Amino acid sequence: MRMIDALTRSMRASHLLVALLVAASLVFAAIGAAMGETFYLRLATEALIFAGLALSVDILLGYNGLLSLGQALYFGLGAYLSALVLMWVPSFWAAFAVTAVVSAVVGLIGGFIANRVRGVYFALITFGMAQVAAKVVYNTRALGASDGLIGVPVIDINLGIISFSSASPAGFFLFVLGVIVILYGVTAYLLDTPFGRLLIALRANERRVPFLGYRTMTLRLSAYVIAAMIAALSGALYPMLRGFVSPELLFFSTSGNAVITVIVGGVGTLAGALYGSVLLTLLKSVVGSYTEHHVIVIGLLFMGAVIFLPRGLMGIVRPAVERMLTRRSKP
Amino acid sequence: MTERTTTERAMAAHSGTAPILEVRHLSVSFGGLRAVDDVSFTVARNRITTVIGPNGAGKSTLFNLISGALRPRAGHVLIEGTDHTGEPPYRVQAAGLARSFQITNLFFDLSVAENLRQAAQILEPRSMMWRPIGASRAAHARVDELLERFGLTAKAQYPAGKLSHGEQRRLEVAVALACRPKVLLLDEPTQGMSHGDTQDTAALITSLAADVTVLLIEHDIGLVMSLSDHVIVMHQGQKLAEGAPTDVRNNPAVQAAYFGHA
Repeated sequence: MRMIDALTRSMRASHLLVALLVAASLVFAAIGAAMGETFYLRLATEALIFAGLALSVDILLGYNGLLSLGQALYFGLGAYLSALVLMWVPSFWAAFAVTAVVSAVVGLIGGFIANRVRGVYFALITFGMAQVAAKVVYNTRALGASDGLIGVPVIDINLGIISFSSASPAGFFLFVLGVIVILYGVTAYLLDTPFGRLLIALRANERRVPFLGYRTMTLRLSAYVIAAMIAALSGALYPMLRGFVSPELLFFSTSGNAVITVIVGGVGTLAGALYGSVLLTLLKSVVGSYTEHHVIVIGLLFMGAVIFLPRGLMGIVRPAVERMLTRRSKP
Repeated sequence: MTERTTTERAMAAHSGTAPILEVRHLSVSFGGLRAVDDVSFTVARNRITTVIGPNGAGKSTLFNLISGALRPRAGHVLIEGTDHTGEPPYRVQAAGLARSFQITNLFFDLSVAENLRQAAQILEPRSMMWRPIGASRAAHARVDELLERFGLTAKAQYPAGKLSHGEQRRLEVAVALACRPKVLLLDEPTQGMSHGDTQDTAALITSLAADVTVLLIEHDIGLVMSLSDHVIVMHQGQKLAEGAPTDVRNNPAVQAAYFGHA
């Protein structure tokens, strides 16, 4: 077989780092369940849910080179859809199916609008679309307006072999871990196909791509829809965890946090989105227990990360893992 | 892509003797400037046709019109008898025309091999787009073949941006050739190259003409004379003359406009 190239090797290093995170999560879940822990298990579940949102930001920013400042639009869309479906039919599968279909359609429409422009304008349009959606939800009585939707029922998640309640801290944590790992797996698979490589080509030199025989709009739109669906499916997990959704999920703070997560974790590494989310959620909670001004600390941390670790956490860790993989493949 | 090219091949076979590339009364203006003004010519199959002319004669603009980078104001571009005027580059590419650029236009942070693989991927069926990268065997085989032919095998895993200027120019041609085009447009492939590299590239282009039609822009007159089967002279957006290299060289109008002496 031919030699694997640098991009595939980087992706394998990401797989290894994600496997490590999964192993740590399993140990954490086991300890948490044994101790009858609730708070930290729920917090970790939330970290994983927001990791899914960060993953969608990294597809656009890290591969396509497009900064979305409105990814909360799709995260919030998924959360609201899931809440509405669950209040009507308490089925996880129904919530996920509706979210997948609707987010693909909305993503396609949003993608057509946002992908007409590039760079700063793309960031502004995605920001604007999310703001409009947030204001609409905030002012719609049927969606609970500023209070959001409360009273999403606890559901039983039936996976065929096992069945458990979304209220079970360890059970639901493991379930969310599984969903996020699948979303990561699908994303990583797609990005290491010729399609994924074309997204990298667009980031590197968009003007050359049409001369290779590809329509850039189709590529950008596909990436945008995939990212929208991943954000929405992550958002769909939120009401299962918290039992409510609120318009804050669509606000800029949600989009902005996801961007910070990816930058701190390492742009274009996918694993960085997951590690970044765990790190940021943990920090917010720890710092938040000392001072209510935790946003200031997070802000300073972000500035520090951009200045001193411009490639993010995984930008430092992953190359080391890659070197390890290279050595092992050349005995 | 595959359905499209097959239909076009069928149509070309039907039209029989249609020239591989034909340009009819092509014109475009920028502001008041007629960058390309009523230019017509046909390109013979598996020959090297060279476009020459002083700076600003409209040569690169002509290439942009043919390859779909620019839309003409008037006129037609026919590939094997089929009209492709004003179509976007990805359509023109599907019709069998590829091009290189005067200003090196690569994916500089990707490896040399990946630059070629990106260009060769179009040889694979569309379904391979969604399979792991290693599954595209035909594309990878094409990459190895081109690395060998262009002397870049040792640099395969280098980022394209780390290559020397001469190597980048060679890769630029290799990338254009990767999709096995019927017509290859090369915009000053030897631009900025050393004498030795220029000679190597000339030999390479000559060898290409065995299975692809080449339309070339070149400034080195010595090279043009030795390399070309046919020469088209442009001046101020218009076609001044065309013919065999020696005929063009001896044409008084060409000597006045281009070589600067009558």
